[in-house]
Formats: sequence, C-alpha cells, structure tokens
Amino acid sequence: MQYRQIREIGGKGSVPGQFASSLRSLAVDAHGQVFAAGDAGITVFDPAGRVKRRWATSRPPLSVAVAKDGTIYAGELRQIEIFSSAGKLVNTWRDETLLGRVTAIGFVKDGVLAGDAADRAIRHFDAAGKFRNNIGKDNPVNGLLIPNGVVDFAVDAHDVIHAANPGRHRVERYRATGELLGHIGRFHGTDPAGFGGCCNPTNVAVGGSVYVTEKGGPRAKAYDFDGNLQAVIAAAEAFDPNCKNMSIAVDGRGVVYVADTIKLNILVFEPVAA
Amino acid sequence: MSEPVTRRDLLNNVARGSVLAALGGGAIFLVQKAHGQVVWQVDASRCTNSRLGDSTNVEACKLCTTECVVALSAVRAVNEHSKCGRCNICPAYFNITSAVDEKGLPSEKQCPRDAITRKPIGKADPEDPANNFYDYVIDEDKCDGCGKCVMKCKEPLGLGSIVLRVRYDRCVNCNKCAISRSCPKDAMIQVPVEEALRPPEIRHNPE
Repeated sequence: MQYRQIREIGGKGSVPGQFASSLRSLAVDAHGQVFAAGDAGITVFDPAGRVKRRWATSRPPLSVAVAKDGTIYAGELRQIEIFSSAGKLVNTWRDETLLGRVTAIGFVKDGVLAGDAADRAIRHFDAAGKFRNNIGKDNPVNGLLIPNGVVDFAVDAHDVIHAANPGRHRVERYRATGELLGHIGRFHGTDPAGFGGCCNPTNVAVGGSVYVTEKGGPRAKAYDFDGNLQAVIAAAEAFDPNCKNMSIAVDGRGVVYVADTIKLNILVFEPVAA
Repeated sequence: MSEPVTRRDLLNNVARGSVLAALGGGAIFLVQKAHGQVVWQVDASRCTNSRLGDSTNVEACKLCTTECVVALSAVRAVNEHSKCGRCNICPAYFNITSAVDEKGLPSEKQCPRDAITRKPIGKADPEDPANNFYDYVIDEDKCDGCGKCVMKCKEPLGLGSIVLRVRYDRCVNCNKCAISRSCPKDAMIQVPVEEALRPPEIRHNPE
C-alpha cells in the first residue's frame, strides 16, 4: 500500500483556519469533517479543508473527539468540555484527580474514555461521566510509559482500545474493562517496521489499519492488526524535523490526517494502489 | 526565638540543596567565592549541542573538550534527573541505530568513554525488562564534555535532560576562557557566583 498527500489544511498564522501557536489534536467525524484542537479552541474544517466554524474552550484544548451523535468532547487540564455539533457548551466534567491532563478522548459502546497524561492512564467513564475503571495502569510501573507527556489511544469497531505505549515501543490492545489483550510493535533504530528513538509511537489512530506517528525523525505509518508494516504514509521529509506528539486521525475512506506540531498544518494522505 | 520556616523558605532550601548536589564537588569552590565575582558557565539555550531547533543528525560540537586548558575539560555532561524520561532505550546512552541484540536493545553505546551507567529503578521484571524505568548516571571523572550524549538527548529525539555544565572544582576560571574564545555560538558566558548557584529554571523565570 502507498499513500499520497492530497491536501494541506491550516498552517501558522492568524487568519481563520490557521493556528497561532499550537495544534495538539485531530478528529474526523462520519461526514469527513475535521476537528482540530489548537491554540485556545476547536476549529472545524469541511472535507475540502475550508473552515466551517471555530469556538473557544475555557482552557486550552489538549484533545478533541467526536461521538457518533455528533457531540464534541474537548480534553483539557482537569476537565472535559462537551459541546453540541454547533459548538455550544452542553456540559463540563471536572475532576482534579481523574482528569489531570486529558490528552486523548475516545468512545466505547456505552462509555467515554479519557487519556490522563498526568497519571499515565486511560480513564473509563459511563456516558454520564461516572468513573468505572482505569486502563493501562495494572502493571509494575503503574501506567503507560510516556516520556513525551501524552497518552494517546484509539478505539476500533469492536471496542478494542489501541493505546500507544512509547516507552515500550508498542501499541497495546485493551478491553474497556482494562484487560490487556496483546500488543504490536518492537524497537528498531533503522528498520522502518520498528519504532525508533527513546519512545515511539507517540500517537495512534485506528480504522482499517493501525496508524501511528513517531517523533525524531517524524513519520506516519500504517500497520495491520498483526503488527506487520503496511506502509510508511509519510517520512521525515514531509514534516518539520522537530515535530513531536503529532496527532493522527483516519476517516471512513482510509484517508489519514496528520498534525505537524511545528508548522501547525494538517497533512492529508489518501491510499493509492501500489 | 527562631523565625518560623515558611513554605517558600523550605522550597528554597530544597532547591539550593539539589543544586549543590548537582554541582557536586564544585559547590564548595563556588560558595567560597565572594559575591559579585563572576564565573564561566555554559548557556544551554545557546550551546549547539543542547539548543532546540538544530537537526538531530548534526555531529556534536566538541570544542569544550578540545579547547579547554584543563585536562579532559572543565565542562562535563550533567543529567538533570528531574527532566529525564528514564527510558528503557535512551538515545544518549545507546547508539540507537546500531544493530539490535538478542535482548531487543541497541548493541552499541553512545559515549566513547563509557561514562554513563544504566540501572533499572527498582527491580526489573526479567521476563519484561522494557516495562521499567531506568536511571542514567554520568561518571564525571570519565566524561570529557564531548557533548555527544547532549546532542542525542535533546528534543525531539530525547527530552533535553542532559546539558553541558562547567564544574567549578575543575575550572580555573581563566580571565579569558579558551572555550569562550572559540565557541561559535557564544554559549560560554560569565555569570555572577550567586546566579551560578541557582538552578537554570529559576534563573530564567524570576518571580
């Protein structure tokens, strides 16, 4: 499988659709709309990359996710803000302990997941925000190994959680109950099939494949669910070399969106037949 | 009657203690100097080996090793442990592009003088040693300040916890430091003694 870049969205600047200082998280909904958490708010782009709307969050957003009903969740320091599809605030979940630094959000059948980088764990809540259990914490180091300071994960069609564990050079699979199912990935400094550096992959997305980004040198890759490398979606030349914690998202057609955290743009790649 | 110890006093004492510990044997030399005197120090934000933005593939600058009049150099690599990720595979310790051994680790070390030691924090699971934190300690008697580990530790490849620092039990405080004369980035600077005793974070973020 190969990928080609088809679009570039955003960029550094002050006009609508650009980002002044940060681009931290991406999500794509069922209609191909792209949601970006950056600066001090959420920006929504249509599938062609045009700005549809933007609104401010009460604290700088660290993550964004869209539920099946179109509700938008923004992860922040010590809270999650929940917005209607029109961007109106409908609820705020606050928790000093369980929501220390929410760098990822996802959804399972009847629950909401929040990656808390402050405690190196994924929190499982019911739909009303009541805590159920931790994920990724039942191990000798009491959490995921995230030297980069970001917990990131994605949920597949079977409600299996695929969590980046960069310190172990793995993507780990968990049930929502916290049970570890397995993992893919291994360290290798030169083989593109491996994860290089001290701590990769940093970010993950799931669709028909498992998609990851790495830092130092930055790249985006696709794996099958057995851990076999399918493609290097984009190599280091595509990104600023100092990028790290590049959010990655995938839509229903397999189009992959990657955030360049230095140039503050979103690179869009589509799969093409080899 | 003694004054009550405030939280600020306590934090200052803790900070001072950790700085003195980080300064190692040089601390006593530094505190003996009079206020108002200046000493040489490396500005990590200017140093090629540690400043952000330079490519991670650039060779380390070795001028602190080659130019200093002191044997090996008065500049040594220092790991600021509070910033260290304590990774299983540290790019400053391992040559991460070397062949992977049977344990899944790079087979070569980064330091040409083998000055860094790697130890598990607590007891590592022999079945799964990657699932652990590791402590990286630099032996300053071996280190010659070549900056190779510093270059590999800096972001985004690492976390930038290793920096080059002048050690005051070695530095002879030349009137015109030989390193400063050759440093292309003017990273060897003179700072007041009292400033050299403060941790860099406090120096750059005064209240």
